[in-house]
Amino acid sequence: MVALEDLKQEAKNVLEGGTVKYIIGYKKPAVGFMAVPAFFHKPEDLDALVWDPTCVHNLVLFLKDEKKKKLGQKEPDERPVGIVVKGCDSRAVNVLLQENYIDRENVYILGVSCGKTGMVDLKKVRKYFKGKIISQIDFNENESFTVTTTEGKVEVPAADIFAVRCTECITASPVIHDVLLGGDSVRTPENPFGSLEEMESKSQGQKWDFWQEQLTKCIRCYACRSICPMCYCDECVVDTINFAVYPDTPAEEKAQKIKWVEKSPTTSENFIYHMVRAIHLAGRCVDCAECERACPMDIPLRFLNKKLEKESKKLFDYDVGYDTEIPSLISSFRDEDPEDFIR
Amino acid sequence: MKKKRIGVFICHCGTNIAGTVDVKKVAEALSKHDGVVHSEDYVYMCSDPGQKRIVEAIKENDLDKVVVSCCSPNLHESTFRNAVKEADKNAFQCEIANIREQCSWVHPNMEEGTDKAIKITKTVVEKVKHNEELEPISVPVTRRALVIGGGISGIQAALDIANSGHEVILVEKSPSIGGHMIQLSETFPTLDCSQCILTPKMVEVSKHEKIKLLTYSEVQEVSGYVGNFKAKILKKPTYVDPDLCTLCDECTKVCPVVVESEFELGLTGRRAIYIPFPQAIPATYILDDTGCPGLLPIACGKCADVCDPGAIDFDQKPEIVEEEIGVIVVATGYDLYDKTNMGEYGYGKIPDVMDGLQFERLCSASGPTNGKIIRPSDLKEPKELVFIQCAGSRDPELHCAYCSKICCMYTSKHAMLYKHHVHDGQAYVFYIDIRSGGKGYEEFVQRTVENDGVLYLRGKVSKVFQDGDKVKVWGVDTLAGKDIEIDADLVVLAMAMRPSEGTEKLAKILKMSLDKDGFFSEAHPKLKPVESVSAGMFIAGAAQAPKDIPEAVAQASGAAAKAIGILSQERLYHSPMVAKVNKHLCTGCRMCVDVCAYDAISIKDGIAEVNEVLCEGCGTCSATCLRAAISVKNSTPYQVHEMINASLGG
Ligand SMILES: Cc1cc2nc3c(=O)[nH]c(=O)nc-3n(C[C@H](O)[C@H](O)[C@H](O)COP(=O)(O)OP(=O)(O)OC[C@H]3O[C@@H](n4cnc5c(N)ncnc54)[C@H](O)[C@@H]3O)c2cc1C
Ligand code: SF4
Ligand code: SF4
Repeated sequence: MVALEDLKQEAKNVLEGGTVKYIIGYKKPAVGFMAVPAFFHKPEDLDALVWDPTCVHNLVLFLKDEKKKKLGQKEPDERPVGIVVKGCDSRAVNVLLQENYIDRENVYILGVSCGKTGMVDLKKVRKYFKGKIISQIDFNENESFTVTTTEGKVEVPAADIFAVRCTECITASPVIHDVLLGGDSVRTPENPFGSLEEMESKSQGQKWDFWQEQLTKCIRCYACRSICPMCYCDECVVDTINFAVYPDTPAEEKAQKIKWVEKSPTTSENFIYHMVRAIHLAGRCVDCAECERACPMDIPLRFLNKKLEKESKKLFDYDVGYDTEIPSLISSFRDEDPEDFIR
Repeated sequence: MKKKRIGVFICHCGTNIAGTVDVKKVAEALSKHDGVVHSEDYVYMCSDPGQKRIVEAIKENDLDKVVVSCCSPNLHESTFRNAVKEADKNAFQCEIANIREQCSWVHPNMEEGTDKAIKITKTVVEKVKHNEELEPISVPVTRRALVIGGGISGIQAALDIANSGHEVILVEKSPSIGGHMIQLSETFPTLDCSQCILTPKMVEVSKHEKIKLLTYSEVQEVSGYVGNFKAKILKKPTYVDPDLCTLCDECTKVCPVVVESEFELGLTGRRAIYIPFPQAIPATYILDDTGCPGLLPIACGKCADVCDPGAIDFDQKPEIVEEEIGVIVVATGYDLYDKTNMGEYGYGKIPDVMDGLQFERLCSASGPTNGKIIRPSDLKEPKELVFIQCAGSRDPELHCAYCSKICCMYTSKHAMLYKHHVHDGQAYVFYIDIRSGGKGYEEFVQRTVENDGVLYLRGKVSKVFQDGDKVKVWGVDTLAGKDIEIDADLVVLAMAMRPSEGTEKLAKILKMSLDKDGFFSEAHPKLKPVESVSAGMFIAGAAQAPKDIPEAVAQASGAAAKAIGILSQERLYHSPMVAKVNKHLCTGCRMCVDVCAYDAISIKDGIAEVNEVLCEGCGTCSATCLRAAISVKNSTPYQVHEMINASLGG
C-alpha cells in the first residue's frame, strides 16, 4: 500500500530540488469526496496532495496540454513535469512514448500502485450508500475499502464498489516510473474480458438495437474525446469546426476540407463518430475508462474499446502500453499475422 | 478561378464494353455532368484515330482535363496520358475510368452495366477535377549490376551484362563459383562433360575486366531503388591471400583437421585448409575457420609454417564491402530436399541410399572414386541399383507439391551412365510417369530403356530398409499390378529441388516476394518471367523454379537483357504520384515509417519526410496515419471523398 506521506515526500524532493517544473497530482475536491486533478507548483502546496481510491482521473491527459503550451513558447522550460500515475495511466504514458508524442525526459513519473484493489465507481458507491454523506474512502491491505461517512467508518468489500475495469486489470502497478510507491503488485484476474461476455452473447440484431439506443443519446459534446489522453490530433475527422488552418495552408487545401461527418448529432452521424474513435483507439486504448466516466449521457463507451483490446490480443497477441520499442498495433505487419478473415 | 473544362471519351472496346454498356447513353449522361464540356464515344479509343480524336478534342474545346472510360489503367493509362501530352497538356490531367474489367465484363445486363459505367465515369471526373499538374521524377542510373549467386545462371548473366560494357559485381556465398553444375558428371541430353563446358565460362568470369568477383560473400543489406541501389556485402575471411597462394598443396598435408567435403557431398573428407575442387575460381586454398584450431596460432598454425609464399594470414577479419549498383539479378539456385525428410526411405541413415547429386559425384571422373561406381558402405560395385523418382516431389500432403521437372531426365542419365560403367549390373527405375519434354529428351530416355536395358517400373516405393548388406526395396508395379521386392546394392533418390538455403533471408533483404513453394516470384508467369515485382530486380535460373541447364542459361540471358535495358539509360523516370506530408498535422508518430513497404519515409525534425524516389504511391501510409497527415498526390482524401459522393449520386 502507498503511504501518502512517502508520496508527498518524493514529490517534495523533486519539486524543491527543481528536478521538475511542477507536479500533476490529485487533491480533495471543494465539495464531495472524489479527488480532483491538481497542479502543484510550490513545495508547500503539496500538503494538499492526496492518493486514495477516488483518484480516478487519468492525469496523462494533461501532458497533451503541456506539450502544446511548450510548442507555443520561445524558450520553454525544458525540465520534466512530475506526474502521479496509476498502473493503467502508466501504460498511457508508454503509448505516448511509443508514438513519439512525448520524450521520456519530458516526464518524471511518480508511480503509485493500486495494491489489491483499484478505483471506486462513483455510481456503485452512491447506490451502496444510498444517500449517506461520504467524506473519505481509503485503501486497505486486503481487498476492501474503508469508507468514512457521517455515521462513522465502514469496511466495504472492494467487489461491491470498485470499477469494472479494475476488476479486469492486470497492471495494478505502473509499468514505467521514476519512483514507485506501494511496491509491485501483480494481479491475475480470472477473466480479463469477462465484462464483454454478455454483450458478445447477443445476436447481431440485439447488438444493433442496443447501440442504436445508446448512440441516439449521444449529444456529441466530445467529452469522451476531450478526456482521452490518446485523442491528441490537432484536427479530427469528425468535427469540421476545428480544422487546422495555418498561415501557409494553401487555398486549395482550405477549400478541400472534408466533411466526413455532419456536425449535428443524429444517430447515423453519431455511429460514424464512435466507430472512428473506436478504430483510432485500437491498440492504443489502455482501458482507463475515462471516456465512459466523462460521458454525461451514460453511454457504455468502454465496451467498444475493450472489445477492440480483446480482438487485438486474440488476433495479434498485442498488449497495449508495455513495450515502447515495438510498432503500434495498426502500423505493424508481421508474417505470422492471421489473414483468414481476408476473403 | 476559371472553371476547369473536362472532356470525356467513352471507348466501345469493340463489343467488350459496348456489348453490355450503352456507350451512347454514358456519353450523353456525362455531357450533362458538372464541368464536362465535351463527351464522345468511339469504337477503339486506343487506336491511332482514337488517340487523334482526343488530341483534336482537347484543342477544339480548350479542354483542361480528360477522362477516358475504357479498360484497366494497367493497360492504356500511359497511351492516353501520352496523347494528352501530345496536345500540350500535363499528362497527369488525364485519368482512366475502368468500365470494362469490373463493369461491362461482369454485368450481363445492359441496364446495370450502363448505370455502373456512368457512375464510374462520374467518380473519375470528380477525381480529375482536383488532379495536380505533375512531372515525372527523373533519377540518374548507376550503370553497374549486382548478380547474386555464381552458378551457371549467375555466371551467364554476369558475362552477358559485362560483355555489354557494364560493370558487374558477382557475389557467391561459397568459396568458388560454379554452383551445382560444376558437381555434375555428364549432362543430358548430349552427355557432354559438365566441368568441361562450364570451366571455360568460369575462367572468363575470373579474367573479365568488367566483373568484380566476390566469393565467400553474402549480401547483407540492400537499400535504394531501381537505378540506384546500395548493397552491403559481407566478405568472410578465407585466411589465405589468393594472390600469393600457388596451389602447391603443402598445407593440406600437414593440416590435422578432417571434415566432410561439401563439394563431394560427404562422400569423402577434406582438411580445414582446402581448395573446394581443383578448377575452383578463384583458384586458391581457403581456411575454414569453423574446424580450424589454428586461429589461435599457438594451438596449431602448421599450415602457415609450411606455406612458402606466406599466403596464410590468421588475422584476416570479415569485411563489409559497399557497392552502388543500378540493377540486381538474383541467381541463387536450388538445393536438394534433404533425405532426412523421407522416413519411408530411411531418413538418410542408410549408407547405401544416396541422392542424385551424390551419384553425380560417384560417376564423375574427378570425383572421390575417380569415376568408379562403388557403394559407400563396403566400396563394392553395386550390381542391383534402384532409382526412385519423385522422391519428395509431387506429394502435396507430406513434401513438395510441385514436380521438380528435371529428375526424370537425370535419372535416365544416371541409369545410362551406370550401365556404361557396370555392364553386368541391373538398373531399375521407379517412376510415376516420365516427363521428357525438351529437344532430344524423349529420344534420350528411349535410348536408356532400349539400348541400355534399364527396367522402368511404374509405381511407388513404399519402403526402403537395410537388410543385411542389402538395401531392401518394397514397391509396386502398377502396370503389372504386382508387388515388387528388390534386394538392391545401392538406391539413388531423385530428391525434389528446393529453393536454395537462405532464400527466405535474401528475399527479406531484397524485399522480393516468394511463391508458395518458396522460390522467387516472377512478375508475370507468362509475360514477365525474368522480372520480379520490384523494379530493377530480375530472377535467373533455378532460383525461380526447378530448371535444367539450357533453361537456366536462357533465363539468365533474358534477365541480363532486361538489366542491360536499364543500364543503357542515362536517367530513369519515376511516377510523381507519391506521398506528401502535411507538416502541420504530422506528430511524428512513426506509424507511416513502420508501414511503408518501400522504406520511403523517415522522421526528420520530428516530422515525416517522404523520399519521393522510393515511394511507390501505394497509399498504405495514408491509410495508416491517424491524423490524415500524409496522402498520395492525385489520390488525396478529398478526391476520394468527392469520388464517394459522386458514386452515391451526390
Ligand atoms: C542430380 C542432378 C543432376 C542434374 N543433371 C543435369 C543435366 O544433366 N543437365 C542439365 O541440364 N541439368 C542438370 N541438372 C540441373 C542443374 O543442376 C541446374 O539446372 C543448374 O545447376 C541451375 O543453375 P543455377 O545457377 O540456377 O543454380 P545453382 O547451380 O544452384 O547455383 C546457385 C549458386 O548460387 C549460390 N548462392 C545461393 N544462395 C546464395 C546467396 N544468398 N548469396 C550468394 N550466392 C548464393 C550457390 O552457392 C550456387 O553457387 C541436374 C540437377 C541435379 C540435382
Ligand atoms: S503516421 Fe501521420 S502523424 Fe505519424 S509520422 Fe506519419 S504522417 Fe506523421
Ligand atoms: S505511398 Fe506507399 S510507398 Fe509511398 S510513402 Fe506511403 S507507404 Fe510508402
